[in-house]
Amino acid sequence: MKSRYLSSAEETSDVQETILSSIWFSSRWFVLIGCLVFLSVVVTNSMVDNWGRLANGSDNLFAFINESLWPPDWSVTEPQAYPVCTEPEWRDFTCSTAWIGVIETLKIAFVATIFGMIISLPISLLAARNLNPWWVSFPARFILAASRSLPSIIWAIFFVILVGLGPLSGILAMTVYTVGYLGKLQYEAIEGVSRPPLEASEAMGHGWLERSFGMIIPESANGLISQLIFMFEYNFRHGTVIGIVGAGGIGYYINLYLKFLQYDKVIAYLLIIFIVVLLLDLVSIAARSFFTEDGDVTRPPSSWWGIFLPSAMIDLLKPK
Amino acid sequence: MSSKPKRGDVLDPKLAVEIRQATIGYSSKEPLLSSINIQFFKGEIVAIAGPSGIGKTTLLRTIAGLVPPLDGNFFIDGKENKPSRGELGYIPQRLGLVRHASVYHNVLLGALAGHTSPWFPYSSAAKKIALEAISSVGLDDKIRTPIRRLSGGQQRRVATARTLAQRPSIILADEFLGELDDETMNLVMEKVTSYVRESNATLIVVEHDISRAKEMADRILIMEDGRLNPFVNEPISIELDKEFEKEVNN
Repeated sequence: MKSRYLSSAEETSDVQETILSSIWFSSRWFVLIGCLVFLSVVVTNSMVDNWGRLANGSDNLFAFINESLWPPDWSVTEPQAYPVCTEPEWRDFTCSTAWIGVIETLKIAFVATIFGMIISLPISLLAARNLNPWWVSFPARFILAASRSLPSIIWAIFFVILVGLGPLSGILAMTVYTVGYLGKLQYEAIEGVSRPPLEASEAMGHGWLERSFGMIIPESANGLISQLIFMFEYNFRHGTVIGIVGAGGIGYYINLYLKFLQYDKVIAYLLIIFIVVLLLDLVSIAARSFFTEDGDVTRPPSSWWGIFLPSAMIDLLKPK
Repeated sequence: MSSKPKRGDVLDPKLAVEIRQATIGYSSKEPLLSSINIQFFKGEIVAIAGPSGIGKTTLLRTIAGLVPPLDGNFFIDGKENKPSRGELGYIPQRLGLVRHASVYHNVLLGALAGHTSPWFPYSSAAKKIALEAISSVGLDDKIRTPIRRLSGGQQRRVATARTLAQRPSIILADEFLGELDDETMNLVMEKVTSYVRESNATLIVVEHDISRAKEMADRILIMEDGRLNPFVNEPISIELDKEFEKEVNN
């Protein structure tokens, strides 16, 4: 119809424009990603003086693994010489530095996550812009940003100075960091809640408490639970780091063996941490399955592969 | 056309909602409806019909106090403020239920809005009212079931029960009968209309299906060319343009 009113030159230019716009539409993401990669390479190049160093990297890595890291020294799971282990033989592993370190780190991470969540949830409810005016949400965001701005290791150093060496400084450091980090994740989950329940609540005349605890928290429960378990896992992993500055946990032993250059023992600790992180991920899948849509995340043991693979790929692997 | 209200204006006590010289939309450059005047009375059911995207839902959301009017005045039960707590029940097109919470939790939220204060949202009477409302829509066996595990029809029944438990004086419903089987539709329609009649409440419903609107409503308001033309506000049983009805039903 349109061509009836166009000259042939106009028609050709119209067709060309359509083709160009369709090419741009289909390739715009590739162009954008290409530009970002190019920019990253240029910036890196401006900071690296000698790319030749990369050539020796793999040789150094293999030498390090063969001579120092592998095989792991599993003696870290054996009972310590002192203090003398009084446990029966079948559970004497509980006297090992690995067990003591892991349990202490888990305890620190657990307590810090719970305290952090209790403090961060009310602040994140205040920080959510879909629940509050800006003059409420901005100060709440300021508090969360302030506690997040320092990494947990700096908080650990700060609390070691304040309360001395040991797990207490670890708990305090992790709690403060958890408030900032978890609070940010929580208010983002809260702001992602769909509008209709909020609008129904507002029209009904619900107060802030009912809207927050009756609508928002149940509606974003999946995200909140997932983030809580992620934070526990994160705190466990970071327990190894803050232990290095004397805040207790498995990091204390890692730091000890790093000082003596016993990397085979260090890798044993790291593998134990990896296994515990995988187990925590299983717990996360199980907990989240109570709050997700059917077929999204199913409960273990049928979906333990979900630790490694996305759900779409698991569906492909399932027997028909 | 009504003039702007003056100090000392007496509003008709039979009026549930009055809209005077209101301009509605999200941008004053492109209002969806300009200078409209409508009155909704207590005890009546009004259906609003019209083509998609013309502003029906926006009108409903503006009455609900969710979208501020660009101009003009809205009176809810004689007061020019946001409706008070529990006065207005709203069933959005997507129902607005808490998907991860149970049927009971959702209906209780309605009961709490209608029967408690915002600073102490707890009452054993509200719990009883919520259970009665669930029972009235035939979902006794689903009380503890999360909403996400219910069918679309069952979810609509929950949204209806939530509003009935609230016992509001004005109900705003946006396509709340859409995609229901006949049995569920009749049940939901019967529950809501009988509540409106018994409580002298007002039901304002956006309805795409003209035949369903005719069946349910005391009067139908048609929105046509809402972006440019004044709102059509005809009292009782207007003759519908057959071509428009055909277009809407298709």
